[in-house]
Amino acid sequence: MLTYIIRRVLILIPMALVICFLVYLGLEMTPGDAVSFMISPDALSSMDPAQLAEMREALGLGQPFIVRFWIWLSSLLQGNFGYSTSGGVPIGRILSDRLPATLELSVAALVLSTILGSLLGVISALKRGSKTDSALTVVGMLGVSVPEFFFGLVAILIFGLNLGWLPVGGRMMPGYVTFWDRLPHLIMPASVLSIMLTAGVMRYARSSMLDALSKDFIKTARSKGIPEWRVNLLHGFRVALTPVVVLIGFRLPVLLGGSVIIEQVFQWPGIGNEFISAVRGQDYPVVMTIALLSVMTVLVASLIVDVLTAVIDPRVRLGD
Amino acid sequence: MTTNIKLAKRTRLDSQFDKIRALEEAGLARSAGGSRFFNKFKNNRLALIGLIIFTIIVLASICAPLLTPYDPQKIDLRAILQAPSWEHWFGTDRTGRDLFARVLYGGRISILVGLGSAILSAALGVVIGVYTGYVGGWLDALAMRVSEIFMAFPQIILVLLLVSILGQSLLNLIIIFTLTGWGGIYRLSRARMLSLREEEYVLALRSFGLSRPLIAYKHMLPNALGPIMVNITLSTAAFILQEAGLSFLGLGVPLSLPTWGNILNVAQDLRVLQNNWWIWLPVGTVISLFVLSVNFIGDGLRDATDPTQQG
Repeated sequence: MLTYIIRRVLILIPMALVICFLVYLGLEMTPGDAVSFMISPDALSSMDPAQLAEMREALGLGQPFIVRFWIWLSSLLQGNFGYSTSGGVPIGRILSDRLPATLELSVAALVLSTILGSLLGVISALKRGSKTDSALTVVGMLGVSVPEFFFGLVAILIFGLNLGWLPVGGRMMPGYVTFWDRLPHLIMPASVLSIMLTAGVMRYARSSMLDALSKDFIKTARSKGIPEWRVNLLHGFRVALTPVVVLIGFRLPVLLGGSVIIEQVFQWPGIGNEFISAVRGQDYPVVMTIALLSVMTVLVASLIVDVLTAVIDPRVRLGD
Repeated sequence: MTTNIKLAKRTRLDSQFDKIRALEEAGLARSAGGSRFFNKFKNNRLALIGLIIFTIIVLASICAPLLTPYDPQKIDLRAILQAPSWEHWFGTDRTGRDLFARVLYGGRISILVGLGSAILSAALGVVIGVYTGYVGGWLDALAMRVSEIFMAFPQIILVLLLVSILGQSLLNLIIIFTLTGWGGIYRLSRARMLSLREEEYVLALRSFGLSRPLIAYKHMLPNALGPIMVNITLSTAAFILQEAGLSFLGLGVPLSLPTWGNILNVAQDLRVLQNNWWIWLPVGTVISLFVLSVNFIGDGLRDATDPTQQG
């Protein structure tokens, strides 16, 4: 097991390095000087040129490209992400400000879609070939076909503007202390974000449940006279659900991508929202850093999924 | 007991089999003619509905000048924000442009972006995947690593990153979609080639002394075409969704061109959202219907090309 994990990590490291290198290449090619990225503009304007030249020297900007890359990478690993070109705020601070909102939204959408998706998938597997099954298939298809932001717009119109049940956007208001104060703001974006995920989980859970139900141990359980609901729930569902849980890791890219647009629709102050405004303002250091972080998140998640799969299913370990 | 009840319950699949059996007994089973693929596709109700919706929307976009007298770009300040009427079927937007014309002409560009990017990225993925999958070795390993890097990015984030570097234009968007979208189809065609290259006819061709590209592209590729077609269909749907999302954010096709996403762009304004439903609701419905129909077609193609499925 340990050797398997070590081997997976060893595959991951060169890839992460190459991605960092590409991102750095992008940073070097886009307009702006590394000094202006690392020092806030206020400080920059008050410095005299000699001092700046000295700083460039100290930062190693006269050095060959590969050395500069190394300096950038090591400062990244120490948590120094540089500065945003607009406003001169440290990127690290922007991220730590925005991350909780994105995490809150993502976790809510993940939980919602996992529960709803596996439930609907199992129902449609148990009623295979029936009207319910076909209806759920069509609904699932709608879920992946209708643009997420369009769902968002319709939801805002109905629940936010016409009925007035939920706030149309934002997250924090003055006077909010606990999570429960923010909950009304979370409901709409999280539900809309989970629609596409739910459709995916439903499909997967359906085929996984069908697969489990065709296994011999289900026949054994039936022949022992165990009631049908117990067979389905305790024997089928449990086996079918394991791969669905592992699926969470694979859904992460979809989730990260979807939250970029949904955060914009609902003015949710998360990383995705920051990313869009950075793209609009051509704030390359922020764009690159967020892109880099999202890739690293996906890579780490896929590593965790692989390890979990190996824990559950020993065949994976031996096969690779 | 319970299994008996289950057996007694007739599912749709049962009735389908009954129908087939009845046809066979009447000696009509094969009389329909045409290929098995076509018959299977024809029998899939959802795929057929999808094909009809798809054809209507594509034809309407192509024949836009015949269907509407309005110019999608013409600003008419005497007719701003009009609700749908006989004169303007979908109403007018904030600068008095006819929305029905904009949806039709916008469809041209949205479909061009979706279909064009899907075909280009499929071509790129197939060209790389078929050859490296057949040849193997370091070339294959290199292509695999490169695709892994591309696929590690959440797609929309990579697209936006490239938009910020390359700038916004119709051509750039198609290039960016092609660059970010080839990974999936590359993997698919490579995997097909890995199993195909063990076939005996490939060995025979090799012993004839045929060149590697000839074997790979001319003799092996046609056997991998089914799944590739399905993938092109499904990625068309995905690209149209992405274009709509990006343009909705104002970061896709430049706003001067009408596309489905660009029409929706104004709906970010809550006043438009609440008071002028005709600006965003019809076009959103058209996008959804179109993507839905493409997905139905893709599913139908998958079932029809999959020989393990009966019916």
